Amino acid sequence: MTETRFKTLKDLPSDHLLGTGTAMCAGCGGLELLHEVYDILGEKTVFINAAGCMTLLTVYPFTPFRGSWLYTAMASAPAGAQGVRDALDILLASGRMTAAEDLQTVVLTGDGSAYGMGLSATSGAIERGLDFLYICYDNEGYGNTGQQTSGATPHGAGTATNKGSLGFPGYKKDLFAIWAAHHPVYVATVIGAEPLDLARKVELAMHLTGPRLILGLAPCPTGWGYDPEETVKLGKLAVQTGVWPLKEFRDGKVVHTKVPKKRLPIEDYLKRQGRFAHLFVPERNETVLREIQAKIDVYWSAVESLGPDDG
Amino acid sequence: MKTASRILGSAFFLEGYEVQDAPRYGAERRGAPISAYLRASHQEIKERGIIRDPSLVIVADETLVPMPAASVLLGLSAQTMLLIHSREKPQVWRDRLNVEGPILTFLSSGGGEDKPGWRHIGTACAAAGARLVGVVSWESLAAALKQELAGFNATSLQENLDNARWAYDLMEPNQGIVVPGRLLSAGAFPRPEWVDLQYEDARVAAPAIHAVMTSEQVETGLWRTMRPVIDSAHCKGCWWVCSTYCPDGAIQVDETGRPKIDYAHCKGCMVCVAQCPNHAIEIIPERGAQSLEMAGKDS
Amino acid sequence: MRVMLTGNAAAAWGARLSGIEYLPAFPITPQTEIIETIAKWVDFGEFNCRVVMLDSEHSMVTAAGAAATTGVRTFTATSSQGLLYGMEMLYTVAGWRAPFVLVNVSRGLASPITLEPDHNDILAARDCGFLQLHCATCQEVVDCILLAYRLAEDSRVRLPVIVNLDGFYLSFTREPVKLPSAQEVAGFLPPFDPQNQGFRAGAPCSQAVAVLGGTAYSYFRYQSHLAALNAETVFTESAALFSETFGRSYQAVESYRCDDAEVVFVMMGSFATKAKAAVDRLRSAGQTVGLLRPLLLRPFPAEAFRRALAGKQGVAIIDQNLSPGFGGILHAELAANLYGHSGCNPVLVSFIGGLGGRDISPEEFFEMVKTTREAIASGSTPPPRLLYTREEFREMKKWQAIALHHSTGEKQI
Repeated sequence: MTETRFKTLKDLPSDHLLGTGTAMCAGCGGLELLHEVYDILGEKTVFINAAGCMTLLTVYPFTPFRGSWLYTAMASAPAGAQGVRDALDILLASGRMTAAEDLQTVVLTGDGSAYGMGLSATSGAIERGLDFLYICYDNEGYGNTGQQTSGATPHGAGTATNKGSLGFPGYKKDLFAIWAAHHPVYVATVIGAEPLDLARKVELAMHLTGPRLILGLAPCPTGWGYDPEETVKLGKLAVQTGVWPLKEFRDGKVVHTKVPKKRLPIEDYLKRQGRFAHLFVPERNETVLREIQAKIDVYWSAVESLGPDDG
Repeated sequence: MKTASRILGSAFFLEGYEVQDAPRYGAERRGAPISAYLRASHQEIKERGIIRDPSLVIVADETLVPMPAASVLLGLSAQTMLLIHSREKPQVWRDRLNVEGPILTFLSSGGGEDKPGWRHIGTACAAAGARLVGVVSWESLAAALKQELAGFNATSLQENLDNARWAYDLMEPNQGIVVPGRLLSAGAFPRPEWVDLQYEDARVAAPAIHAVMTSEQVETGLWRTMRPVIDSAHCKGCWWVCSTYCPDGAIQVDETGRPKIDYAHCKGCMVCVAQCPNHAIEIIPERGAQSLEMAGKDS
Repeated sequence: MRVMLTGNAAAAWGARLSGIEYLPAFPITPQTEIIETIAKWVDFGEFNCRVVMLDSEHSMVTAAGAAATTGVRTFTATSSQGLLYGMEMLYTVAGWRAPFVLVNVSRGLASPITLEPDHNDILAARDCGFLQLHCATCQEVVDCILLAYRLAEDSRVRLPVIVNLDGFYLSFTREPVKLPSAQEVAGFLPPFDPQNQGFRAGAPCSQAVAVLGGTAYSYFRYQSHLAALNAETVFTESAALFSETFGRSYQAVESYRCDDAEVVFVMMGSFATKAKAAVDRLRSAGQTVGLLRPLLLRPFPAEAFRRALAGKQGVAIIDQNLSPGFGGILHAELAANLYGHSGCNPVLVSFIGGLGGRDISPEEFFEMVKTTREAIASGSTPPPRLLYTREEFREMKKWQAIALHHSTGEKQI
């Protein structure tokens, strides 16, 4: 870890820059993530958004931003970022804008866009070496439309389109691996419940140039079925059970920034959420619970076998 | 509210009425005002959408009354019965709102915001409304309830039925007080005042906001039913915990390094309460806090 | 000095002369040559423009609108399937009030998939908020792009513009074109003025925000409509300046030998010149006929059409497009605009042809006049004629026989 201004929690920003009064649900893990990110990125930013819960951050005439914002469409926020970044570069090169007026181009999407129809635009943007930061708030479903199954929905989760006793039969897409396979400058996973880890990653990312992508798990009271006050508790459990690994991809390597010493059983995380209730009542679904735990165990045994240097 | 309107809608339908009921909301999330419309008639219902001249307005969440987006008072006339789920007496509301028509208030048998019965407010409102319109029998109401709450477990269903019966009985003295609306006259009507829009500069006529943080004018603090309060005696000033975790950024840090909750915007999610390392934030009912505020005390 | 240029080359020159700074691109037949030409100029240092290949037309239109709203002169090009792939974003960027020019090289839409032209693609975009100019010659392609930038960027408009040219018949066809000089263009088209629309530190702006409620949505949509209506005045002014600067005159609706015409053809695009040729032949045979051709389709030049058709007895509207279950789109638009206006009720006869590049022969034009005259005389309008000949039908049947494995006893040559 090179020099960071975020050595302890006390170094976190005390000035909160994102305006209040937005329509996100009380306890929204995505909003928590966004405000922590915004505190560090600051107002010299233009956020380019794809359709999702956060589209409703700005509803005429209300905006929470001190900087700029452009809403595009569900599939093309990275393409919007391409247009903005290129235009800013042209304005800079031709002297119609000064370096002091330049902005960081930041794409903000949910998992619906990032894991699904936004992949084409994202892939193209990384491949073109676009200088941008991508922030994905992942609440593991199409949240804004009522939490239907998306490419990010995990195995066994109940959603609006998977209400049966087994929940979603498929598995969560590995977006981190997909992004990393493009060899961008930086990829990281974060979560609002671990603000120091998040702050260091955002700080690092904002000082690099090129495609930088950050994937944040966003606990969702409305979509996951829990009391809003548990958002941080669940976030910490996601890390402690190992279901949400905190890691980075840099210089061709994956490095974990937090390795839970003794992983808590995944049940501790699942049983607190209404979307997994069918795995416990009316009776325990041992098969699916084992499947979920096994996937996590396999993941971490691969990580741990690489040795302590990478932890 | 959608369910409540469907309960009443189905009850009317079972009584032989033509019915039209619909919810009206924005994106699917908590906190946004939700309303529902219900039309019942012996004739085919041709009108649609928002109701401009309601016979009955039922308010389940009294904090919505001051919220413009909720449009609670839209179309209220001297003939409109206004039923508000509230601890306050009708006269308090009459003074507050300056409405001409009759007002009734009631509090769900569950008790208050912090009681489990709070969940059944919708049912109570539907039941109360059913009695007030005078043409919905208990049998139809109960049948409608069972239909609309078919997915509920037996205990919960019974709780709802009991609550509905209580509210239905409570409104007995005012049975039939709600009268069907008058038909609009096409002979003499207030003209709609159409204007010819003129072209305005694209800077103002595009959906763009040339200002910062205007969202702070939206008082999301109205969403709260419970309020987190920092106990300064036990607060250790570790603002980096509560003010970082607050999703809305509604905890600011003052010049002395103390966290301060912005009650105009705090939505009452209680993440701060759950995460405070010293358990220095307590939860109090929002109503109680507002009374204290109005009495000039610190909350 | 005129040079021989294809329509695509003319489009590339139009963009270059307009001083475009940014070209987000995606290839599709029959427009690809446009972006290849510009990219080659840039690669060889002959032209300074940032060219970026996007991953799809949906992304391409997004990038174009985003760059225009950030403050640079932007250009892009597509056709048919690509135009429709990006259709969502056409509506979106028009709603942003992003001023830029998109060249559409018209091509019939799948299914069945074809590479050859008709107007269903460009007409599918008629409600999206972009303005539309339709070219009949390669010269017009250059000129319309210059006009389009003036139109788009005028403060009374601020809307994106589509310049349409027909695939194959213009895109790959060479005609003599006079290219204006950079100095001449400078006298017509000033540098891009963002007019306070943009993104920069110190001037924060939230663009393209959501609205809740019909009141706000209606206001913004009505304003786009008023802007589009303004464009007719701006077009007339710009065309006057164009004429002064370059010596070529354009009208919103071109009128060819219409003054004393009893019967008038109405059609758009490059096949309108074929109609002109037919008019000349018919005039030589003693018939008083003419042609009206909209250069401007959005805004719809309603008044110009009404003036031109006042007192005319019959109109043969030739649609190179088809709305299944309804008929020709240009026919419907014209009829809607003439209805109820006194002094202007010619018989309107609808002809549909040219789909997927199908030729329209001179004899067919002559026959259309006959049909229209019959309609005038009888007072009864026939149903729309789908242009197709016995010869074509026989050919189709032969192919069907192969496709359906029937033995017809005839060998294919």
